[in-house]
Amino acid sequence: MDLLGLANYAVFMAILIGIYALLALGLNIQWGFTGLFNAGIAGFFAVGAYTSAILTSLPASGRLGGYELPLVVGWLASMVAAAAIAWPIGKICLRFRSDYLAIATIGIAEIIRLVIRTEGWLTGGVRGVTGIPRPFGDLDYMPSQIAYLAIVATLVLVAYLLVERQVKAPWGRMMRAIRDNELAAAAMGKQVEARRLQAFVFGSALMGLAGALFVHFNRSVTPEAIDPMIATFLIWIMLILGGSGNNRGAILGAAVIWIIWSVSELLTDRLPTEIAVQAKYARVFIIGLTLQLVLRFRPEGILPERQAGSPPHR
Amino acid sequence: MNKKAIAGLVGAMLGAAVVAAPAHAQDVKIGLMAAISGPIAALAPPMAAASKLAVAHVNEQGGILKGGKLEAVLGDSACNPQNATDVATKAVNIDRVLAVVGPACSGAVLASANSVTIPAGVLMITPSGTSPEITKLKDKDLVYRTLPSDDYQGRALARTLKARGISKVAVAYLNNDYGKGLAESFKAEFEANGGTLAGYSGHEEGKASYRSELATLARGGADTLVIFDYGDGTGLSILRQSLENNFFKTFVGADGMKSEGLVKAIGAANLGGFFVSAPVGEASASLDNFNKAYKAAGENIDAVFATTSYDAAFLAALAIEKAGGDKAKLAESLRAVASAPGEPILAGEWAKAKQLIAEGKDIDYKGAGGDHEFDAAGDVPGNYAFFKVSGTGYESIADMK
Repeated sequence: MDLLGLANYAVFMAILIGIYALLALGLNIQWGFTGLFNAGIAGFFAVGAYTSAILTSLPASGRLGGYELPLVVGWLASMVAAAAIAWPIGKICLRFRSDYLAIATIGIAEIIRLVIRTEGWLTGGVRGVTGIPRPFGDLDYMPSQIAYLAIVATLVLVAYLLVERQVKAPWGRMMRAIRDNELAAAAMGKQVEARRLQAFVFGSALMGLAGALFVHFNRSVTPEAIDPMIATFLIWIMLILGGSGNNRGAILGAAVIWIIWSVSELLTDRLPTEIAVQAKYARVFIIGLTLQLVLRFRPEGILPERQAGSPPHR
Repeated sequence: MNKKAIAGLVGAMLGAAVVAAPAHAQDVKIGLMAAISGPIAALAPPMAAASKLAVAHVNEQGGILKGGKLEAVLGDSACNPQNATDVATKAVNIDRVLAVVGPACSGAVLASANSVTIPAGVLMITPSGTSPEITKLKDKDLVYRTLPSDDYQGRALARTLKARGISKVAVAYLNNDYGKGLAESFKAEFEANGGTLAGYSGHEEGKASYRSELATLARGGADTLVIFDYGDGTGLSILRQSLENNFFKTFVGADGMKSEGLVKAIGAANLGGFFVSAPVGEASASLDNFNKAYKAAGENIDAVFATTSYDAAFLAALAIEKAGGDKAKLAESLRAVASAPGEPILAGEWAKAKQLIAEGKDIDYKGAGGDHEFDAAGDVPGNYAFFKVSGTGYESIADMK
C-alpha cells in the first residue's frame, strides 16, 4: 500500500467533504438558526451548478453557453442565481409553517430538476454541460487535486467565518429568538417574515456556490448529479448528525457521513464477493441507522448548539 | 470527548482499510464500476456478472502477464457523479487498478473520467454509457466504450429510410432522454440527406389517447410515421390508434419498439407495414461462446448490456497483457488488440490470445457484442439491422449502414 495513493484518496475525500460542508453550512443557516425546513437543497445546488457551468464553459451547439467568463464570475453568479431563485420562493412559501415549507421546497427542487432535464436549449438536457474549466486542471493528477482542495478549503473557511460572525452578532440572536418563539419575537417588534427570507436567501446562495465548486471539479454536469438522495437527504443527515445550530457541527457531520460512506466500501470489499455486493446496499442502511441512533441517543447531534451566555464547553 | 471518539473511529476505519488491503505485486486489478445502487440498480448484477465472467476466463486460461491473477474490484458508482468519482478515486489510488470497466451511466462516466481516470492515466471502457458527450471528452485516448453512441442508431435509421426511397415522414417520440435523443439525431441526418419531416412532436407517457397528436402529425401529408418509443408502453397505443384511424400506412420504430408483446397485441396480419431497427449482436461464434458460458454461470442471456460488459472487461485484460502491464502503453495496446488486421480472437479465447501476444503476433478481438473497431474518439459503430414482422416475432430484412 503506497502512501501516495492514500494521500490522493484523502485529498479527494477532503474536496468532496468541503463541498458538502458548504451545503451543510447553508442548511444550518436555514434550519439550524432559523428553523426553516428546506427539503429542496438539490434545487439550489443545481441552479448554482448550471449557472456557473453555462457562464464558464466552452461553446457548444444546441445549448446556451460558451461565454468562457472567468471562474470567479461564474462562482459569484452561481451564488446570485441561487439567491435569486430562493427569493421569490421564500417570498411565497415562508409563510407556511415548517412541514408545509418542506413539501413546497421538495416540489420546487423537483421542478428545477425537470426543467434542467427537458430544456435542452438552456442546459443541454439529459446530455448535460461539458467542457467546463477546472482551475489548475492542467497540472498533474496530484498537484491539481491539491490546488483544488486549497480553493475549496479557503472558501469553506471564509463561509464558516462569515456565518459564525453573523450568528454571533445580534442578527443571530434574533434569528434564534424567531426560531424558538415566533410570537414573542414578533411581539418585540422583530420582522419575522423579512428575517426568515434573509436566512433562506443567504443559505441558498451558499448551496449555489457548492454546486459551482462541484461542477468545476468534475468539468461536467448532468441531471444525474441532482438526485435528491445524494444532494438533499444526505445533507440533512450530515447536519442532524453533526449538530444543527452549530457550524462546526455541520462541517464535522459532512466529514463523518462522507467518510463512513466512502471508507465503508473499502472495508466491505474485503468480504467474500457474494456478501460484498450486498454490503453495498447495506451502506445506505448504515447511514440510515446512524441517523436513527443519533436521533434516539443524542438528538442534539455530536456537537450541540452552544447556548448564548454559557461557555462553549461544559 | 466526542471529537476524540469520532477521530478515533475514523482513524480505526482508515487503519483497518489499510491493513486489510492485500498487496500482491504480480497480480493485476481492474475496477468494475457498476451502478449497484441508484436508478438502474436492476441492471447492475447481470452486468457485473458478465464482467466477472471475463475475469474468470482470464484466470482459468493461464492468468495475466507472468502467472499473475486478474482481480476485479467491484465498486458502486450509483449512477451519479458524486459516488462515481468517489469509487473511481478508490479504485485508482487504493486498489491501483490499471483499467476500469464502467461507470454505467453517462453523467458518471463524464465526471469520473474528467476528474479521476484521465488525470491518473487509467484506461476506462464503459459498457453502457451512450451519451454523445462522451465522444467529445478530451481523454488522452483513454476513454472507450463497447456500445454505440445514442447518435448512431437514429442516424443509421435515417439513412436506411432514405435508401429505401422514403423521403417524407412524420416523427412521434417519447419525451425522455431515449426518445428525444434518437429523434434529434434522426432529424439531423434525415434532413441533411434531403428528407422532409412532415411532422415532429414529442408526447408524454401513459395517456389513454394520442389521437389528437396523431391527427396533427397526419395532417402533414406523410405516409410514414417514425415512432421513437417503447413497444411495451406508449408506443403500442400510438401504433394501435394510428392503425385504427388509418392515419399512416407505414410505421418505423427503433429498438425500443421491437417487442413481441406488440405483435401479439395487434396481430401480425395488421403489421405488414411495420418495421423496426435493432442492434444485432451478430449471430457470431463469439456471441455463441459468450451465451454458453454466461448461461452456465446461471445468468439470463437476454440481460441488457451483458455482452458489452463482458467485452469491456475482456478488452481491458487484453490491453494489459499486450502492454505488459505498462500503464503508459494501455491505450495503444487496446487499439492494437481490438482492431483489424490480426488473428481473430473470440469471446472466451484467452489462452489463444495470450499465446499469440507472447509470440508477438497481432490479434483482433471479435467480441460478443460486436467487433469493437474503435474510431478516433474511442467509439464503436453499431451493428444494426432492419426488421419486419414475421409470425409472432421479427425477421431481419437488411443490414443498416
